[in-house]
Amino acid sequence: MRRISLRSLALPGALVAAIVLLAIAAPLLPLPDPVRQDVANRLARPSLMHWLGQDEYGRDVLSRIVWGARVSLSVAFAAALMAAAVGTLAGILGGYFRGMVELVTVRVAEVVLCFPPLLLALLVVTLMGPGAGTLVFSLAILFAPGFARVAYAETLSARALDYVTAQEALGARTGRILFRTLLPNIAPPLIVQFSLTVASAMVLESGLSFLGLGVVPPSPSWGLMIRGARASMEQAPLLLFWPCLALTGTVLVLNLFCDRLRDVLDPRGKAAGRPGFLRRLVALPPAAARPASVTPGLLAMEGLTLEVPSPAGPVQVVRDVSFQLAPGETLAIVGESGSGKTLTGLAVMGLLPAAVRPTAGRILFTGRDGQVVDLLRLPEPEMRRLRGRDLAMIFQDPSSSLNPLVRIGTQVAESLRAHGTTRGTRERVVALLRQVGLPDPERAADAYPHEVSGGQRQRVMIAAAIANHPRLLLADEPTTALDVTVQAQILALLAELKRAEGAMGMVFITHNLAVVNKIADRVLVMYAGEVVEEGPVAEIFAAPRHPYTRALIASMPEGDAERLTAIPGAVPQPWAMPVGCRFAPRCDAAAEACHATAPVLEDVSPGRRARCLRWKEMA
Amino acid sequence: MNGAGEPLVRGEGLTRAFKRRGSLFRRGAPVMALRGVDITVHRGEAVGVVGESGCGKSTLGRVLLRLMPPTDGRVLFEGQDLAQQPAARLRMLRRRMQMVFQDPYGSLDPRRTVGAQIADGMEIHGLAEGHTARDRVAALLRQVGLDPDHARRLPHEFSGGQRQRIAVARALATEPDFIVADEPVSALDVSIQAQVVNLLADLRAELGLALLFISHDLHVVRHLCDRLVVMYLGRVMEEGPARDIFLAPAHPYTRALLAATPSLSHGGGQGAPLAGEVPSIANPPSGCVFRTRCPMAQPECGAEVPPLRPMPGMSGRQIACRRAEELAP
Repeated sequence: MRRISLRSLALPGALVAAIVLLAIAAPLLPLPDPVRQDVANRLARPSLMHWLGQDEYGRDVLSRIVWGARVSLSVAFAAALMAAAVGTLAGILGGYFRGMVELVTVRVAEVVLCFPPLLLALLVVTLMGPGAGTLVFSLAILFAPGFARVAYAETLSARALDYVTAQEALGARTGRILFRTLLPNIAPPLIVQFSLTVASAMVLESGLSFLGLGVVPPSPSWGLMIRGARASMEQAPLLLFWPCLALTGTVLVLNLFCDRLRDVLDPRGKAAGRPGFLRRLVALPPAAARPASVTPGLLAMEGLTLEVPSPAGPVQVVRDVSFQLAPGETLAIVGESGSGKTLTGLAVMGLLPAAVRPTAGRILFTGRDGQVVDLLRLPEPEMRRLRGRDLAMIFQDPSSSLNPLVRIGTQVAESLRAHGTTRGTRERVVALLRQVGLPDPERAADAYPHEVSGGQRQRVMIAAAIANHPRLLLADEPTTALDVTVQAQILALLAELKRAEGAMGMVFITHNLAVVNKIADRVLVMYAGEVVEEGPVAEIFAAPRHPYTRALIASMPEGDAERLTAIPGAVPQPWAMPVGCRFAPRCDAAAEACHATAPVLEDVSPGRRARCLRWKEMA
Repeated sequence: MNGAGEPLVRGEGLTRAFKRRGSLFRRGAPVMALRGVDITVHRGEAVGVVGESGCGKSTLGRVLLRLMPPTDGRVLFEGQDLAQQPAARLRMLRRRMQMVFQDPYGSLDPRRTVGAQIADGMEIHGLAEGHTARDRVAALLRQVGLDPDHARRLPHEFSGGQRQRIAVARALATEPDFIVADEPVSALDVSIQAQVVNLLADLRAELGLALLFISHDLHVVRHLCDRLVVMYLGRVMEEGPARDIFLAPAHPYTRALLAATPSLSHGGGQGAPLAGEVPSIANPPSGCVFRTRCPMAQPECGAEVPPLRPMPGMSGRQIACRRAEELAP
């Protein structure tokens, strides 16, 4: 990841270096004197002696552009650096100390922002007289508040983070926290700000010089060149073109360079991907014709395999997952993070993240009309019709899955309207909110999400999900973010809904075995992208046949044992899967064969399957 | 261990108010996250603080480490009032009290290597530098069950469980006597939770650390702690030996909390789940803060705040309930 991004820096880096070198090396280059006039040849076209022609005084244009770059670049960089140093310091101090410090740093800087930039520059230049030094100073004043704002906002959000508190807890001095912990972490937006500032400083320098307030003629500067060329625009339009090209080109190269630099400095890399509707267009191999004997029930997943691209080729994150769900049944998918349980759920909803690509399998779903469709190959418009009506989903974090700016009732009504209900929505919404146990549903419908508690928000999410009597409800860790007493209430509510909506099937994704015990009929245990065990909840808990299930049950912090039973190690990364059984490296029952042969999912007893070479010995 | 001399850490009448932004015409009433909490942690003792969100357990941890000052009350570390210490002296004391945070993703600086972050504490307090520091980092990584070579990597190359081990190593680097662990395993998978809990238990036994273990999961606390403090809306509801509280929870809230925690043996939610939700901390009920959800509440419960008092018939147990006598076994 890191190497790739470094390479991405090469081209803009080389361009910036070329521009800077050219400016520095100007005195060494065999260029004509940029201020020597040759009035006889004024406005001459490009020639062998003067590659870009001569200007209104017969001076060499190429030479003036290269020499002008020295002035423009040094003024712009000096101003931007000064502004960055002053502004960042002000912002970081204001953001960290708040109170009085904030008042004298950030708020004062904001006053500067209130002046029109050109007017302010005019004021400074008038007071101090024109010249490059004045120019740097006035530009720095102009741009410092921008840095202060950015640094201030970033500091505010960063100082609340635990790693800053951790430094405090370690006993670090304030200076150390500010400059070793905060500064590097708020740097990326500042770098972007810097590139923008250099660019605007160059433009403004040109503008001020153009107005006669910046660089004093005859010193070459791009702004002065534009100014000079304007007068003879009609005779020699190219004269206007060259300095403008130099200006835009340099600004664009700088922007590109700073953008790439920011990406390289971010150790976590950046997110990539296309919007959702494009994702479904990926070619999937056509599914084999369905054998007539198979009845899909409500949902039948067959051999689902999902891949993500990686530098070393695609890696499988979910492999050959199959299960069936009957109407009215609740299936729990259990696994640790990295087990592929959430991706399996998202595949059903057709909401896979951009990078994830299904490569095999199918997801057969029996719709309201009794027709069986393959959700994996369904075109997006039809998928959209199913989503929210036949298929509904509840997410883990109720605070981020509700729109904070829209009233609760409106959000629940949206799911009704999206599927054709137009009349009586208000009554229906209130009825739904009552059904999910929201106290005072009329008032709650008019409330905003932040006005109700986390548990209530999850109830709202459930109300929106069941609004159209879905045939399948997918719940992805719906109680993980809630307090235990509230979790108990939500689980009771879901159980109650299952009774009320008799035919609704539910897939409940969780990492908590104890919750499974309470809500599900059957359980599917996943490990490292594979199903390792499946069967009725009571049977699996009483007699797990896979060592992973057994270890997972044992690691629950219950019972009187002095010490918890931990599973050693961690889930293997998808690109470093063991050759044999994926659980073998952590398994206390692993034999030699386990490390060599990948076990297949075998039928243990009717309705029970396990993926273990030694399942017979596990009884 | 109890009662043997001066406790390592003692909080007396700790109260912490947060200012709330009011509207244009009304001043916001302060939110009382902590109300008159007394707590002691002896050398080598593990105290569990349990409660749901908004009960003030995290605030308590931070106040005890003086990462935020209490609005009222005081914190004594080996009998020295932290508020009275000059800044330099407080920084020195910080070497001896450390913190492990809940979110293993937020508590490590994403831009600095793991080794540099573990070495921070040693550097700040001048405990080791150069070679010695590197060796010590390697030893610490080994101690928390990681490969010493990992010191050169950045945090994002590690899983949640591994990061939490790194955070523990960072806290151990200054050889503290007291560690506040604020929900250190809540963000981790069950199997990894057990690893981290066992690691903390081992370190405690090995190094004689005193531990304040903050959690919302009663089961996790039970395995690690000698004593338990159950909090609700900024107040202590019940306190006592962890094992006793588990075997016979006395306060109605402790009972409800224990019953609501799902478990494999009883499937969770024995009996009806507790009605309603935790009231807003900004507007707590009068009298006993738990009375709005308490199955045993009487009108009198709203009259005055029940003080924390010894539970009749149970040694070492304290309970804040008017009807303590009726709850006794």
